[in-house]
Amino acid sequence: MRSSRKLSTPRWRLPAYGLVAALAAAEATILWLALHPRVHPDYRAFYIDRTTTCLNKEVVGTYRLGETVSFRPDGAKRSNPLKVCGWTGAAGNGTHSRGHTSILRIALADPPPEGLTGTVELAPVTRPGAGDRQVLISVNDVEVTRVTLAAPEPRNVVFEIPDFAVEGSDRLDIRFDYPNPLPTGPMASNTNDRAIKLLSLRVAPGMADQLVGSRPRNGMSLR
Amino acid sequence: MSITGMAVRRPQDRSLTLVLVCIPLLFLASGVAIRYLAFAAGAPDASFGDYVSAMCRWDCGWYLGLAEHGYEPFPMPEGRNVGSWGFFPLFPAVVAVVRNALDLPTLHAALLVSAICSYASCLLAWPLLERNLRAYVLYSAFVLSGPFSFHNMSGLTEGLMLLLMTVVFVALRRSAWLSAGLATALLSATRLVGVFAVLALVVDMYHRHRSQGGTPSSFLRHVLARPDLLLAIVISPVGLFSYMLLLYLTVGDGLAFGHVQRAFGRVLGNPAMYLWNNLANTPQTGWWPTAHQWSGLAVITGLGLCAVLAFRRQYGAAIFCIVCIVLPITSGLASIVRYVAALVPLTTTLMMLLAGRVLFVPSLLVLLWASYFVTRAWFGGFLALV
Repeated sequence: MRSSRKLSTPRWRLPAYGLVAALAAAEATILWLALHPRVHPDYRAFYIDRTTTCLNKEVVGTYRLGETVSFRPDGAKRSNPLKVCGWTGAAGNGTHSRGHTSILRIALADPPPEGLTGTVELAPVTRPGAGDRQVLISVNDVEVTRVTLAAPEPRNVVFEIPDFAVEGSDRLDIRFDYPNPLPTGPMASNTNDRAIKLLSLRVAPGMADQLVGSRPRNGMSLR
Repeated sequence: MSITGMAVRRPQDRSLTLVLVCIPLLFLASGVAIRYLAFAAGAPDASFGDYVSAMCRWDCGWYLGLAEHGYEPFPMPEGRNVGSWGFFPLFPAVVAVVRNALDLPTLHAALLVSAICSYASCLLAWPLLERNLRAYVLYSAFVLSGPFSFHNMSGLTEGLMLLLMTVVFVALRRSAWLSAGLATALLSATRLVGVFAVLALVVDMYHRHRSQGGTPSSFLRHVLARPDLLLAIVISPVGLFSYMLLLYLTVGDGLAFGHVQRAFGRVLGNPAMYLWNNLANTPQTGWWPTAHQWSGLAVITGLGLCAVLAFRRQYGAAIFCIVCIVLPITSGLASIVRYVAALVPLTTTLMMLLAGRVLFVPSLLVLLWASYFVTRAWFGGFLALV
């Protein structure tokens, strides 16, 4: 206590006030900097402006056409590099979506053959009385299908990828949009706006109705 | 010499000093034994090395990562999309220094830092416990061997928080304002709520001012006329501001520690609503409270002890503890048991209440007995103990 009171003695008074002023100025400057962030546009969109729930990151997973990738824990090594954003897990029942948008990104080593078909195995995340989950799937910004997941069992969703969506691109951005995810709020703070569980993905050459084991496609619509 | 006889003495003689040093050491050892037994009960074939590894759970991994690699810029390397900016720097910085100085694995350094800080916090808490030896025994048992001691001994910030919080409140008790301010500065670099110790500082200054005959209206003038008081206040958030500057230079966002909470799915809401939702989350079968209800009970217990502090006219400590409880639960009750159990003014008050002749021995036995079962639940992943 004595040493601290010494600061109020005439000898130390001025230096002590000077130190207070210097600290206050430094803190005010840092506060000003904090209120004026200089950040990457993706960071700003997700963390500050909150205009997206999907924080883009530069990952591009390698993928062999025709391969089925599991999004359960057993396939994490293959599936993790494909997940750009909007996913959580993998859990035992698949990788859960998180937020209003999820993206998978696949590198295309060579120009792909004409006519690609994607197959994703999906199940809805639901709660009693929460209704169905709607999913819009786009590839390289071209909407390829929209489905409504009602039954809790997983189902295959098959969609054709139009050639013009792939033309000139070295990657496939497969985007899932969810108009009605389970809402997060004080009453259900741990839902994290989940909508679907993704169990597997396959992209293969050929039309949907030519693929072995594929099911009829679900109302493909092109923009 | 009886415990009661020593309770009223000051630690002037060597034998009492020796007792004060040895009691926490004893509980430090018993705590390791209890936690190891709790771990071994769930993994009979596991080695002591496995136990040490198992002591790092949940947020511990983030702190070890920070001690090894520091904060990452954005965009992040290796395709990660959640940064470690929500975890404050002082604890991992101390761990990194100890690791490099002693050439230890990072986890071992973290556990060593936590153990030393927790032990030291017990030693320093002696004045806060009003030199009551029974309360000191209970407090040491609670911190080092008690039902939540695994938090203090893990690679988490709890041990360091306990130490710095103890220094702050011991300094405030002695009106050593600048020391309290410096300790608050370190506390504010350990966890966000640490900066609110400045409230306790200002309230205690005001209390002191009033007790010396000052009027409410003259308080501001009094502070402005005393550069030591001003410096204590201004220096208190230095740790937080230093971290903000570090984040600005690394990520470009000085408030990244708050913004990153979005990636963890935290949603701001009414704390009363969160509390009610947790308490109303009843078990599907049986009567044993759910993890949510335990979290709710921790909040109620904490706020109840804040009321006791206020009743005892420890207004600064009461306000600090209320903020430390209410602020985190605006985004849910996750980890609140851990947060409440590490609030030194609350736990010292509780131990003082339990240190009466009748309650002392049963309380000590319950603390040690509960430690085994709660630690087993922690190793088992019980959500309320995250």
